[in-house]
Amino acid sequence: MNTAIRRRSAYVCRSCTQSLQRQLRRTYASATAQPDIYDVVCVGGGPAGLSLLTALRANPVTAHLRIALVEAQDLAKTKSWKLPPNKFSNRCSSLTPSSASFLDQIGAWSHLERDRVQAYQEMQVWDGVTGARIEFDWAPGAAPAAGTTIAYMNENLNLTSGLLKRIEELGGVSVFDNAKVEKIAYGEETEDVDLREWPVVHLSGGKQLSARLLVGADGANSPVRSFAGIEARGWDYNRHGVVATLEMEGEGWGGEHLKTAYQRFLPTGPVAMLPLPGNHCTLVWSTTPTNASRLKSLSAKDFIATVNAAFRLSPTDLEYMHTQESGQAEEYSWRLEHTPLDYRTIPQTAVGVQEGTVASFPLKLRHADTYIAERVALVGDAAHTIHPLAGQGLNQGQGDVQSLAKAIEYAVGHGQDIGVTMALEPYASERYAANHLLLGVCDKLHKLYSVGSGPLVPLRSVGLNAVNALGPLKSFFMNQAAGNGIKVF
Amino acid sequence: MEVTLRRTAAAIARNNNGLRPAAAALTAAPSSRHFSLSSLTRPPPNYPGHVPLTRIEKAALAIGSGLMSLRDPRRGDLIAAFAEATATPYFIYRLRDAMLASPTGRRILRDRPRITSTSLNLPHLRSLPPGSVGRTYVAWLDREGVSPDTRSAVRYIDDAECAYVMQRYRECHDFYHALTGLPVVREGEVALKAFEFANTLLPMTGLSVFAAATLKRSERKRFGDIYLPWALRNGLRAAEVINVYWEEQLERDVGELRRELGVEPPPDLRDIRKREREERRRRKEEQAARDGGV
Repeated sequence: MNTAIRRRSAYVCRSCTQSLQRQLRRTYASATAQPDIYDVVCVGGGPAGLSLLTALRANPVTAHLRIALVEAQDLAKTKSWKLPPNKFSNRCSSLTPSSASFLDQIGAWSHLERDRVQAYQEMQVWDGVTGARIEFDWAPGAAPAAGTTIAYMNENLNLTSGLLKRIEELGGVSVFDNAKVEKIAYGEETEDVDLREWPVVHLSGGKQLSARLLVGADGANSPVRSFAGIEARGWDYNRHGVVATLEMEGEGWGGEHLKTAYQRFLPTGPVAMLPLPGNHCTLVWSTTPTNASRLKSLSAKDFIATVNAAFRLSPTDLEYMHTQESGQAEEYSWRLEHTPLDYRTIPQTAVGVQEGTVASFPLKLRHADTYIAERVALVGDAAHTIHPLAGQGLNQGQGDVQSLAKAIEYAVGHGQDIGVTMALEPYASERYAANHLLLGVCDKLHKLYSVGSGPLVPLRSVGLNAVNALGPLKSFFMNQAAGNGIKVF
Repeated sequence: MEVTLRRTAAAIARNNNGLRPAAAALTAAPSSRHFSLSSLTRPPPNYPGHVPLTRIEKAALAIGSGLMSLRDPRRGDLIAAFAEATATPYFIYRLRDAMLASPTGRRILRDRPRITSTSLNLPHLRSLPPGSVGRTYVAWLDREGVSPDTRSAVRYIDDAECAYVMQRYRECHDFYHALTGLPVVREGEVALKAFEFANTLLPMTGLSVFAAATLKRSERKRFGDIYLPWALRNGLRAAEVINVYWEEQLERDVGELRRELGVEPPPDLRDIRKREREERRRRKEEQAARDGGV
């Protein structure tokens, strides 16, 4: 019977034979359950996993692949995610224009709630110890034709919800949400198929998914990565990222159409104030675990004062304020009188913090030894975890997905098996070095700026001032950051 | 100084007008611009008594006052000017940050207390038990015949808060004498300055140590053998003494405070000097007796 189909398959498209095969199997199923075979099984319904599935479904070459998504959380809840216009989630990421254009290409960008996405055009980055500063602002006439947007600030939930809506629109993805992955193991040999080298995902409830290609988009503690026996190396920074959604005194110095991102490097870690629509901002403050838990325990008034102090007062003052159990607001107003400031170069004053948005997460660096194994590919945080100081984590994941989707497209187009290492190799070779470079740069920046005193401090300030003064070099960096310059990384 | 410079400029302008009115009118604009680059357009003071100086002026003040105060260490005004001219960059900020890092230091900066004969109740201090900080301090004032009012106001430090730090250091100097028990004679002063240098890092205190060169040979030897090692060791080891809120410590036992700060009392300089004087006299008498005997 099988030979009959195989002979016929020369004249019928593969998906048709597959469905026929399935029908036949279902009809003549023997006592042992037939394995449920998918071309792509993606574990993890975060931004990276969902983007990959969207990219595969949106591309006519790969649209016929049989795809499954496994996610532990309830995706219906994520899809119907909705917040009032004056409330913002505390988990936000920056999307570079190249990530945004990829999302647009796969048709997801229009499914995002666009009035919750905030573009910013300028950046102010400075050294908290010496005040040395680099200003990423567009000189009149120097703005590139591609647009002056450095990046877009966006809530992660807005992105995942938009991607889910796009996937629903495209259809054809078997979604297994609220599903716990019990184990991942190799399959067995039956009379029809030999799955001994194919990964099988065992879900709670007994469902088993056999994968031609198993994609691990399942985060930093990736079960797929452990299944593949790929080691992720790196270190913990012994820092926590404190996030919060803040209300500012205004829409920013440049008004609604010229938004600025601010980042100050303190010896404990960088603190960043990133613009959201209206008079909202999102805070990402990398600091010691002790400081982070102190920040989370503060009253709203003292928390806001400490945040404002982080962009204004000296590291000495901040260090003292972190030792206080309360009373930061009063301390801040006293020290502000004695601190000379140029108001145009720092964010506007925060006046409120959205209730329940102060949270923290540990920062670490991890890089998997490889992104691919036989029938396994890792994307996003499963492959690498980066320090958030450059806001590149999510963009790296988007870069991975774009590259992996391209590799799969090539393999399908050339009749290759999409699961073999040979087919996945272009993905690994395109992304590994680029990600490694970015991980290293952010790691070194973190280390360079963790120094509070000594000869390194004046040296790094001279360097920063020099880059700031060299116009062409600076616009090169800006175009790199915006992703519309020459492709170097 | 500011006033005299202004007056000179006005005089030059007047003279020009008197001599060559037409030429003066022609050159008035460039010449005024030339002067505007110098000290004539001084910014307004940042605090009462502040004299804003340009960098060059500060450097000149530092060199001049430094050299002259080495020549005549009794010129307190020059030492003060030197201290202020060399406190920036870095040093006074470091000292201010040392204060800001300590809860007591912050409280001092917030209250900005001044130490004068009126702010301290001297008769009350005399009534305190012996061994208390206040009694030791006032006994020291009486013994040396000095008053807390002899400290001049800070003028050349631009930042108001840093100016206060310098003022506070200056006014606390007498308490350091009381804390260490070093007398105001030149030898004691130099030893205390070495202690302060190791503790505060202010350049003036470091320069003052060079005054050791002007000591007598025996004093210099004693300084090198006993007081300099003591000063450096204790200055570095002790907590920042600028962070002591002296006004609140007056009733405490000075030994307890020393232990808290980590300061060992140096050998009593007055005792040593007295013993040596007696020794010399005794030797002289012996010599005289021997001479008389022969």
